[in-house]
Amino acid sequence: MRDFIANTLARSPLNELAVYWLGNVPGLPPIAQSCHIAGIAIMMGTIVLIDLRILGLAVRSQHIGEMIRRLMPWVWGALLVNATSGLLFVVARPYRYFYNPVVAIKFSLLALAVVLALVVHGRALREPDYWERSLGRRAVSQGIALVSLVLWIGVVLAGRWIAYSDYLFFYG
Amino acid sequence: MTMPLAGLWNYLQNHPTAQHIGFTYWFPLLESVHVLAVGLVVGSLLTVDLRLLGLAAVRYPASRINRELIPWTWGAFAVAALTGFGLFVTRASVYIENPAFQIKLGLLCLAGLNMAWFQFRTFRYIHGWDSSGRTPFAAKFAGGMSLVLWSGVILAGRWVGHII
Repeated sequence: MRDFIANTLARSPLNELAVYWLGNVPGLPPIAQSCHIAGIAIMMGTIVLIDLRILGLAVRSQHIGEMIRRLMPWVWGALLVNATSGLLFVVARPYRYFYNPVVAIKFSLLALAVVLALVVHGRALREPDYWERSLGRRAVSQGIALVSLVLWIGVVLAGRWIAYSDYLFFYG
Repeated sequence: MTMPLAGLWNYLQNHPTAQHIGFTYWFPLLESVHVLAVGLVVGSLLTVDLRLLGLAAVRYPASRINRELIPWTWGAFAVAALTGFGLFVTRASVYIENPAFQIKLGLLCLAGLNMAWFQFRTFRYIHGWDSSGRTPFAAKFAGGMSLVLWSGVILAGRWVGHII
C-alpha cells in the first residue's frame, strides 16, 4: 500500500510540477516552510492556548466555550495551510517522507490530536458550557487537554526531526 | 572585510560546548524546541495584535488580552533566544555573515522598538478605547507592524538555513 502510493506519486505529473516549482521559483522552499511555521504559530495561539486555558494555566478571564467558538475556525484554517505547504515537499520527494520513521510518528500524534480536537471542540461548539456543567466533565476535559497539549508539542518537535532522522536511527 | 568582533565569534564556535551541540543530537533538539518557542511567541502575539487592530476578541478589553498573553510571549521568547543562541554558537562566524541572519536580527530589533513604543506611549492612553472594538491609529499601527515584522522574522529565520 505504502509502496503503491509512493510509486504512484513519484511517477505522477504532480511530482514533476512540485520538483520544478521548488527548484525554479526563487525562494519557494523557505517561503513554503515559513507558511508552515506560521501555521504552527496559529496552532500555538489557538488550540494549545485553549488546552492551557482548560488546564487553568492561561487566559483565565476568558470563557472556555467562547474561546473554542472564536478560535477553532483558525485551527482548521491553519491545518489546511500546513497540509498544503507540507504536501508540496512530500509530493516532490515521496520516498524521503514515506519511508521515514519520524514521519510515521508525527502523523500518528497528529491524527490523535485532531480526533481529540474534534471531540472536545465539537461538544463545545454545540453546547458552549458542555465541559463546565459538572466536575466529572471538567476533569475529563482537563485530562484531554493535557494529552492534546503533549500531542501538539510532539507534532512540532517530530516535524523538525524529520530532517534529522539519521540522528535517531543509527545504522552502524 | 573582516567581521567586527571576529575574535569573539571564533572563540564561541571553538568552545567545546558549541562543538558538542554541532556534532550531536543537541542541534536538532535545540532547533525543534526553537521552532516550538517561536510558534508560541507569534501565536500568543497574534491575538494581541488582532485585538489592537480591532479584528478579534473585541469583547475583551485590550488591556486584559495584553496582560494575560504578553507574559507567555516573553516566556517563549526567552526559550527561543536561549535555544537560538545555542544554535548560533555552533557556527557563529558563518551565521554572523549570513544576510538572512542579519536581516532577522534587524527585524527583531524593529519588533522590540515597536513593542516598547506601544507599551510606553500608546498604552498610557488605553483607557480611552480599552473596551471598544474601534481602536485608534496608534494601536492599529502597533498591531499591524508587529504582525508584519514577526512574519519577516519567521521568513528570514527559515531562510538562514538555506544560505549556509
